[in-house]
This record gives sequence, structure tokens and C-alpha cells, in this order.
Amino acid sequence: MSLALWSLVGVLLGGMLLRMPIGFSMLASGMAYLVVKQQDLGLVAEQVCNGLYNSYVLLAVPMFVFAANIMNAGTVSERIFDFCRILVGRMRGGLAQVDILVSVIFSGMSGSAIADAAGPGLVTIRQMLKKPEYTRGFAGAVVVASATLGPIIPPSIPMVIYALVSGASVGALFLGGVLPGFLMAILMMVVVHVIATRRNMPREDKIPWREWPAILYRGALPLSMPIVLLGGIYSGAFTPTEAAAVAALHALILAGGVYRALSWRAFIGVVLESARASAVITLILAGSFMLNYVFTAEGIPQAVAQWVDGMQLSRLHFLLMVNLLFLVLGCFLDVSVLLLVFVPMLLPAVNALGIDLVHFGVLVVLNMMIGLIHPPFGMLLFVTKALTGIPIGEMMREGWLFMVMLLLLLLAMTVFPQIVLWLPQTMGYGLK
Amino acid sequence: MRAFFLRCANGFGAALFLGLFLVFVVQIVARFGFDRPLPWTDELAVVLYVWIILWAGALMVPEREQVVFDLVWNAAPRVLRRWMRLVGNAMIGGLSAWALPACWDYVHFMKREGTPVLGIPFMWVFLPFVILLLALVVRSVLGMWRAWQGLDLEDAGVPS
Repeated sequence: MSLALWSLVGVLLGGMLLRMPIGFSMLASGMAYLVVKQQDLGLVAEQVCNGLYNSYVLLAVPMFVFAANIMNAGTVSERIFDFCRILVGRMRGGLAQVDILVSVIFSGMSGSAIADAAGPGLVTIRQMLKKPEYTRGFAGAVVVASATLGPIIPPSIPMVIYALVSGASVGALFLGGVLPGFLMAILMMVVVHVIATRRNMPREDKIPWREWPAILYRGALPLSMPIVLLGGIYSGAFTPTEAAAVAALHALILAGGVYRALSWRAFIGVVLESARASAVITLILAGSFMLNYVFTAEGIPQAVAQWVDGMQLSRLHFLLMVNLLFLVLGCFLDVSVLLLVFVPMLLPAVNALGIDLVHFGVLVVLNMMIGLIHPPFGMLLFVTKALTGIPIGEMMREGWLFMVMLLLLLLAMTVFPQIVLWLPQTMGYGLK
Repeated sequence: MRAFFLRCANGFGAALFLGLFLVFVVQIVARFGFDRPLPWTDELAVVLYVWIILWAGALMVPEREQVVFDLVWNAAPRVLRRWMRLVGNAMIGGLSAWALPACWDYVHFMKREGTPVLGIPFMWVFLPFVILLLALVVRSVLGMWRAWQGLDLEDAGVPS
């Protein structure tokens, strides 16, 4: 390793350990590399500015964030909640089942796990905490687990970013997440059912028949969104980027026009919040443009590919190793770092082994979701704790079964690529 | 003074964001409503996007909203935290200040080239990157000053 590369690693790790923002640490580490290499520091501006300017697909990120924030501010979650209470509320542990179903529907409109926990998750936690049969830890665990559906069921912000990094098709990735997403939801409902039966959790009260039409009508409106969104993308009517804007417009019409639940003041708050959240995500990406420039200049991805090649791994062994690597790294690093720094390093090896990019992408995103719910870096745990005050330890104690379930599903998806690839291939994507 | 400054930064950022959204709406309406795709909307959207991200990153996002690794921080005593703030800010601010002139040179140089459709000189497209670096320098100096005075050392870190 050259001195310049050491200085990059030093500044990057130093910045992170000193609690500096990760995106800025990445940027500064690239600067340190150029200083030691005695190269033109203007390269930083060139890499970051051109990187952002040429990433048209990334425009979907602020629009998806905007759509999710509008829905949360406009009480869309509450309407879906009542709708789902009719469908699964009568099961044992009804509220927990409702939470999972609400997450499935919300995931069809939002691409972010954090938005899912902060929106519909918060609505159901409040309901569950009113009933003594649900412990705090269980309520938190269900919400945290079901929030991971957000980026698996399309649309998905991490998949958009992966598509940018890898060159895979956004449409195929979105389709690849559908079946795993529904499998996750079904398995979560099974886990809830097992726990609820054992602990004798309550069912929800019957909702009188005459209230059904109004509730179904209000809940069905948001349901039209995933249909418009995915139908639009797959019929080729609009690009994923435009679809994100359509999603925001749809949410705005629902929240502002139909439900009249969004004041002008709240709307400006949503705009500001969306701009800030988009910047936080994208600044890490901007920092990674610089890091990846250095890694490419130093030939690191090729070295990794050669190293993997030298080990004579099969596809399956390689993927299992990647899963293990991400699980371990997820204990030390934010998931965005996994996606933006480690995935580009692994891509040449993925290509050399002939692994399908869509399969790999969905596995990466599921790995990221698992990273979001295990400590010490589980962002979803932090968000839920910040919103509800439920201690992380209690959520972990009650949630380990969901974790085991997700790991088993990850294993199954690794061994059987068809779980991911069947739907995109059926829909005619020219995959291997 | 600080509140006024933040209001202005927020106002401009919100206008950019709404602008981006409206450009998309116009693009979609033109294509589906009138079957007339507009050549300039994609380009304007990307320009606005570059501005939003870098502007918001420079002036709108408070440090507590950034993604950080805080295991060491949470375990560290106050004395150490103070040094962490001082060294970390000196590193990020120092390197940003070092890179600033060369980055300005690059951005300034790009005034010769315009975007393909609208012909906006790239200097204006890329300008917010220079603003971001400037903001990093100023924020780091402020951060060091506050750490020196024993501020911002709580568990949650920087208040705003």
C-alpha cells in the first residue's frame, strides 16, 4: 500500500472515530490522498461535481424522500391503518399483524425504511402501547422488523443507489424485490402469530359493517399509488426518476386535496426536511465518488477480483462470504458505507464470477436492512428509540426471532437465486 | 443574526427543492398531457439537484442530523471529547481550506463550457461545491472555538 493510500485510510478512519460526519470524512480523506500524491486538488471538485451532474437516476432519491414525508405529514398512514384493521385485525395479536400489513402497503409507496418506522410504525406503536398485553419491546421489535420491508418492496432508495453504482436496471431490481418482500411479510406474520398465540395477545374489536365502505374507500386511495407507480415504470410510460416525482405528486394530491390534512406551514416543513434528508444521503455518496476515484486509481477492485479468483470460489461460496462480511462490517459501519464503498470493490469479482447483478443487488439491500436492525449501528433501532423512548435492549430481546427469520431468508435467497430473479425474468428482462 | 442567516439559507433551499419538483411536473405534463417532450427539463432538473444537495449540505443540515459513528464518543470522558472535536474539526476544516483554491480554479475554469441544451456555464452549476468547502472551513473553525470553550460535549453532541 502506498503512503498516499495510508493517509487516505488514516483520515477516513480518524474522521469517523472522532465522530465527524462520514460524508465529510470521506471527502477529506480523498483530499489527503491527493495532497500526499502531489496531485491537483481540483480533482476533488471535478469528481464530486461531475459525479453528481451525471447521475440522473439519483434524482429519484429526493423525490421518493419527498413523497414519503408528505404521506407521513398528511396522515396517509392512519387511513391505511384502519383499512388493514378490517383485513387482519381479528387475528391474534391483531395490532402487530396490522402493523406488518400497513408496512407492506406503505412500502409500495415509499423507498425508505426510516420513513416507514417514523410514519406507519409510530402510528401502530402508539396503539399497541395502549394495551397491556403488548410489551414495549415487542411493539418496538415488530415495527423495526416490518420497517425493513420499505426498501425491499419497490420503490427503493438503496436499490436506486445500487443501480447507479453497478449499472444494473432499476426496473429489474425493483421487480426482484417484490417476491422477497412478500415472503418477508408472510414470514413476519407467521412469527407474530406464533408469539401472539403463545402469549394470548388480544384480537381487535369487530368494526361494524356500516363503517366498512367509508374506511375501505379512504384506504383504497393510497393503494392506487403502487399500481400507478409500478405500472408506469414497467409499461415504459415513465422512467423511475419520473415515477418518483409522480409518487410525490400523488401523495400531495391525497394529503392536501383529498384528506385536507396538510397545512401550508406543514408543507414547507416537509420541503425543508426532504431537502436536508436528501443532502445527508447524497453527501455520503459524494464522498464515495472521491473514494472510488482513488480505489480505481490504485487498482483495488481489480486486486480484490484477482484475489477472489485465486481462491477458486464458486458463486455460492463467494455470496456466502459476502453475506458474512456484510454482517460483520454492519457492526462497525453505517449501511450506506457498505453500499457505497464495499459494493464497488466487489463488483469486478461479481462480474468475473458471472453472478447476476440484480440478484447481487437485492441480496446487498437485504443485507443492509439486517444491518439496520442489529446493534451497535442499527439505525432503525435508534430512530424507533428516539421516537418512542423504548430501550434498544428490550427491542432486541423481543425481536431476535425476526432477526433469525431474516437471516434464514437471506440464506435461502443466496442459495436459490430464482426467489429474486423469477419475477424480473418472467416480465421479460433479459437476464442470464 | 444567525437565525436570519439560517432563514435565508432555508428559504433558498426550499425554493430550489420546490423548483425541482415543479420541473418534473412540467416535464410529465408536457409528455403525457400534450405529447410534447421538452428538451430542457432533464437538464434543469439535474442542475437544481446539484444545487440542492450541495447547498443543503453546506448551510441547512445541522451536524446532529449527519450520519456519524459515535461508539467512541459515547464512551469517552469530557476531556477526550474536547480533543476529539478539536482534532476532527482541524482535520476536516484544514483539508477543506487546503483544497479550496484548487477547487475554485477548477470551477472557475468550467465557465468556458456550457450545459448542452440551456448553455448554462458549468461554473454556475458547480459553484455550490465551493460554497460547501467554504462552509466546511467556517463550521470547523466555529466548532473548534466552541470545543475550546467547553461547549457541544454532551452525549447527543452538537445541539444545532
